[in-house]
Amino acid sequence: MAIPDPIVEGLASGWKHIDASQLSQDQTLEADVVIVGSGAGGGVAAEILTDAGLTVIIVEGGPLKSSESFNMEERRAYPNLYHQAAAMKTKDKAIGIFQGRAVGGSTTVNWTTSIRTPKPTLDFWAKDKSVQGLSREELDPWFDKMEKRLNISKWEYEPNRNNQALKLGCENLGWHYTVIKRNVKGCWNTGYCGMGCPVNAKQSMLVTTIPAALDKGATLVSRAKVIELEHHNDKILAVKAQALNEQMQPTEVKLVFKAKHYIIAAGAIHTPTILLRSNLADPHELLGKRTFLHPTLLSGAIFSDPINGHSGAPQSIYSDEFVWKHGAASGELGYKLEVPPVHPVLIASKTIGYGKTHAALMEQFNQLQVTIALIRDGYHEQSQGGQVQLTDTGFAIDYPLNETFWRSVRRAFGSMAELQFAAGAKRVLPITEGAPYLNSWKEAKSAIETLDLGPLKTVVASAHVMGGCPMGEDTKLSMVDSQGNSHYYENLSVMDGSVFPTSLGANPQLTIYGMTARNATLLAERLKSSS
Amino acid sequence: MERRTFLTTALVGTAALALGVNLYAPEHIKVNKALDSEHRLLFSVLLPVFLDDALPEVEKLRIAAQNRTLDAITQTISLLPADGQAELEQLLDMLENRLGLLVLTGSMTPLMMRNPDQLIAMLEYWRNSFLDMMVTAYQGLRELVLASYYSCPEHWNRLNYAKPTFLEV
Ligand SMILES: Cc1cc2nc3c(=O)[nH]c(=O)nc-3n(C[C@H](O)[C@H](O)[C@H](O)COP(=O)(O)OP(=O)(O)OC[C@H]3O[C@@H](n4cnc5c(N)ncnc54)[C@H](O)[C@@H]3O)c2cc1C
Repeated sequence: MAIPDPIVEGLASGWKHIDASQLSQDQTLEADVVIVGSGAGGGVAAEILTDAGLTVIIVEGGPLKSSESFNMEERRAYPNLYHQAAAMKTKDKAIGIFQGRAVGGSTTVNWTTSIRTPKPTLDFWAKDKSVQGLSREELDPWFDKMEKRLNISKWEYEPNRNNQALKLGCENLGWHYTVIKRNVKGCWNTGYCGMGCPVNAKQSMLVTTIPAALDKGATLVSRAKVIELEHHNDKILAVKAQALNEQMQPTEVKLVFKAKHYIIAAGAIHTPTILLRSNLADPHELLGKRTFLHPTLLSGAIFSDPINGHSGAPQSIYSDEFVWKHGAASGELGYKLEVPPVHPVLIASKTIGYGKTHAALMEQFNQLQVTIALIRDGYHEQSQGGQVQLTDTGFAIDYPLNETFWRSVRRAFGSMAELQFAAGAKRVLPITEGAPYLNSWKEAKSAIETLDLGPLKTVVASAHVMGGCPMGEDTKLSMVDSQGNSHYYENLSVMDGSVFPTSLGANPQLTIYGMTARNATLLAERLKSSS
Repeated sequence: MERRTFLTTALVGTAALALGVNLYAPEHIKVNKALDSEHRLLFSVLLPVFLDDALPEVEKLRIAAQNRTLDAITQTISLLPADGQAELEQLLDMLENRLGLLVLTGSMTPLMMRNPDQLIAMLEYWRNSFLDMMVTAYQGLRELVLASYYSCPEHWNRLNYAKPTFLEV
């Protein structure tokens, strides 16, 4: 069945799109504003600034792909739509990181969970991180606006069985849970959000803000990897990029972008990388430090009935029972409970072992329920996140996992097992080396006490990269102010997940949408009044 | 070690390796032995161990699945960033070379001359090693092989899984 593809239609209608892989000569382009990155931050900024009548160029390192190429297969989606074909890892290889790399950024592949920034997070930022003007009362109108824009509403369908287990477990234990709001319109409830929505129901940047900006005359340059910013005194002079070919390897072609104002929205990890590579002023050496991941643990559970975790909205229930239990910064690290979609490559690689034991696990693919615990990092003094570092060939992320972290992991494995048994699991398998199948909560409780947890033993993953270019008013703590404007360069702003001073304790997209909507609106007013 | 003994052993080893290749290269694996830049031979030895019980039992199907996985592995490697490719290449080269094998596995016997139990013992030795280098070697190969295998829709039968068909006309 043919699904209308807004990208194919938009291109046919004359959108200004340059696929840098097709260029044979160097180019210089100019606009009022150049935006680096087309994800949650870049996409929202592009629409708002174009709407305000400014000329905008969006520079994206990844390719422009759309529903006609989204075939629900990981072997196509990962190389086309993810950084490092979804195999990115921290320096010591202990944490696997998922991050989008295509027009639409991570929103093209994310799972549509939309949560407003938790109040304790904003309170902590105000009190400890010198962030101003970002209380929930001040942000709520922007969340309202973006929820309307992206059709974010409570998922009214029955959760799939994977999520239902989370719900049932919480109900039986009397734990908190919430039905998730999702940014979808006419969702087919198929479960392939992570491979690019095949029916354009997900209201990602790819089908909302970017097409809107292009309709109004913005220019999109894809497969153009920004290398550095040229600067002098307190001004940015240009953005320099390198064209990539279809295999995403550099070509000879160089691009230069010039603007009155520059917005960097390449996401946590890449925004700090670009700024570090550009040798920008950073007197307190903050860039790239305090990178947060919501490091995530997995617990498998075998049910006697089919779970079919590949089918249906991937996330529709979450539990905040343990996120703030011990306060924001004291006690043990909090964790949020959710479920991931279950797809063959994802599960085959994010489990343990090989040969017979692995094959036996894979044979139960349809009976497998997976719960995840996302650890809230960046609050506790023993949870300071990781660091993005430049290397000869690119960047590395050093993220040490310490005792405080592993204590939380043990508790999280316990909570997940308790929840899964309460939901009717026959057997539970914490995804860590040496863990056996556990047959009851009683057995699990004592086994988990003594599991040998650690880096490279315990599977740790992340789909939420945050931080590395923090916001705030105190220059000792921040690179940009609370509106995302650089403390050191008058025509530079950062609008993406890198500005978070800690992790969120909630899935990040709506926070980025809301904050960027506010910051881009304020910037548009400023740019208009100065022109 | 005296220089002379070292050289002799090296020579004997090279001969043994060559012999090993000739004797043990499975017939059905499509490799040009002179030009095995994709390490197909090496992976063809490791696949049955990593994928024991996952590969189909019927020989013809198993061979097809193995060849498909070898192609997928080549494809997966080509998608890794330069750093990752270099690291993996170094590991694979070591596994194809006697001294490298000695360092990584404590034995110079070419992998194609080891039986499945010996190969499992090798993987377990890495997997449980106190050296991160060994553990990451194990995990790198594991992830590469398993991800490549399960990336092929032809291999989903055993999972009782197929992607939805609503997009097919
Ligand atoms: C698999 C997955 C599932 C997720 N599920 C959810 C969810 O359900 N709910 C939720 O809230 N969040 C989810 N997230 C996270 C969420 O999508 C991100 O937090 C959010 O998109 C981040 O926005 P951003 O603007 O900071 O960066 P991104 O959206 O990642 O965009 C950054 C863009 O910049 C580009 N870029 C990077 N470097 C360069 C360069 N040098 N030159 C040019 N361009 C560059 C990238 O290619 C990318 O397109 C998920 C993420 C993933 C990967």
